[in-house]
Amino acid sequence: MRTPSFKHLVLVFFTAAIFLAGCQKEEYKIPDPVSDLTNDAIKRSLGPNIVSQTIEFAYAMALPKEKGKLVLAEVEASIAGASGTFLQNNSFTTGGAGQDVPVLVGEPSVNKDNRTSVTFNVDTNAATLRYFYVIPEEARGKTVSFTFSATASNGSKVTYKLGPYNISKMDIKRLIAVSNNNNAYISIEDMAVYNATSAVGVAGKIDLVYLFRTTPSAFLHGLVSPAADPIYLPGVTLPAGVNRSSKVRREFGVQDRNLANLQFGIYVDDRDFQEIQLANSPNYAIGLRAEASTWVETADGKYRAYIYVNAVSTASGGSAVISILRYAL
Amino acid sequence: MKLKNIYQPLFALLLLLSASFMGCKKDFPVDEDGLLITARAECFVSNFELLGADFITVRAKPVVIDTTAQTVNVEVLFGTDLKNVYPQFSLASDCKLDPKITGKTDLSDLSNPKVYTVVSGNRLVRKPYTVIIKYQ
Repeated sequence: MRTPSFKHLVLVFFTAAIFLAGCQKEEYKIPDPVSDLTNDAIKRSLGPNIVSQTIEFAYAMALPKEKGKLVLAEVEASIAGASGTFLQNNSFTTGGAGQDVPVLVGEPSVNKDNRTSVTFNVDTNAATLRYFYVIPEEARGKTVSFTFSATASNGSKVTYKLGPYNISKMDIKRLIAVSNNNNAYISIEDMAVYNATSAVGVAGKIDLVYLFRTTPSAFLHGLVSPAADPIYLPGVTLPAGVNRSSKVRREFGVQDRNLANLQFGIYVDDRDFQEIQLANSPNYAIGLRAEASTWVETADGKYRAYIYVNAVSTASGGSAVISILRYAL
Repeated sequence: MKLKNIYQPLFALLLLLSASFMGCKKDFPVDEDGLLITARAECFVSNFELLGADFITVRAKPVVIDTTAQTVNVEVLFGTDLKNVYPQFSLASDCKLDPKITGKTDLSDLSNPKVYTVVSGNRLVRKPYTVIIKYQ
């Protein structure tokens, strides 16, 4: 083998030099100080966005002291929020125990069309306001976007866009009390419970009957379709016309956070209802207990629902508290 | 050394390598599922579990497995939806089950109990087990 020539050696040397030069660390540069009005926003709430529920944001804005003070904060939603939508006129500091301590910085917020604004009434050059958007009915199944803006006394204005966010098609109804032989007739369409007398008027909408039986021991609290085998409706005389057969699947591993009073870290969303297969499910669910739930599909195929059992009681013949998420197919 | 001259030994090396790879044939016998066929002839069900669609057991009592009569007797809770259950078998070492359980199973036809065949590790012994279910 020939010994490497001088030319080769020079080439290798230069290549190595280039590589080494490329690995040089860049000096840290102190970022430019904020020289004018700036802003930032985050979405604070989690989970599906359900009509009538609130989406919460935090909107921060600041400018150098010598440039002026904050004058106006405003949020524009692509679909006007429902009644109860507001931009909080407090900024917050953190107290000694880590709690939020409000500091009043402006007038109460004003809603006009799809804009919500707070006019500052204190001399401040930095604030973080919280925005609570109550999801209106007209946003169901659509998307909503938000444009946050702040105006300073020197005339400068900044904006920050968030979204679009999908608004769920689901309906929510919390804490419905059901009791054995009394308020026992549940309608998914109405998201309500009826007694034997009032159920006659809405017989075509009754999907489930709540019952409590101590024998057999596996029965206990049950949600049974009116058309189920009579062995699952012992001692029940159905009101006239109550005869629907819903598909029901008992579930122990899913506890929706919205229905379970903010316990658990699971959210049931539109997609769950779209994808669940209930065609082969029975028309009854027995052996329910607190924190259990059921998936339901109504006989007419119009609705799927998720019923969460918040609490059960064996006192006075048996009762339960249930909450419902409903999805229109 | 000229670059051209490198090709010949490289080619030879490649040929040698490919020949040696071809020689690496496995000696262990596997069945049609890719499972190892062993020397074991044991063939029985050692345990059985039945889960509902909610993945909670639906058994009302401990399961009775009769390895002589080749039956699995299960008593299930009142109200069990036997159309949507997950049977789970524990078998002797290296055994496999035929038919395979792939997910939710319909065991609701109580008059025609389902039969599962246990196949031994050496794949020579086959024992059919009948799963007999009755309600509580």
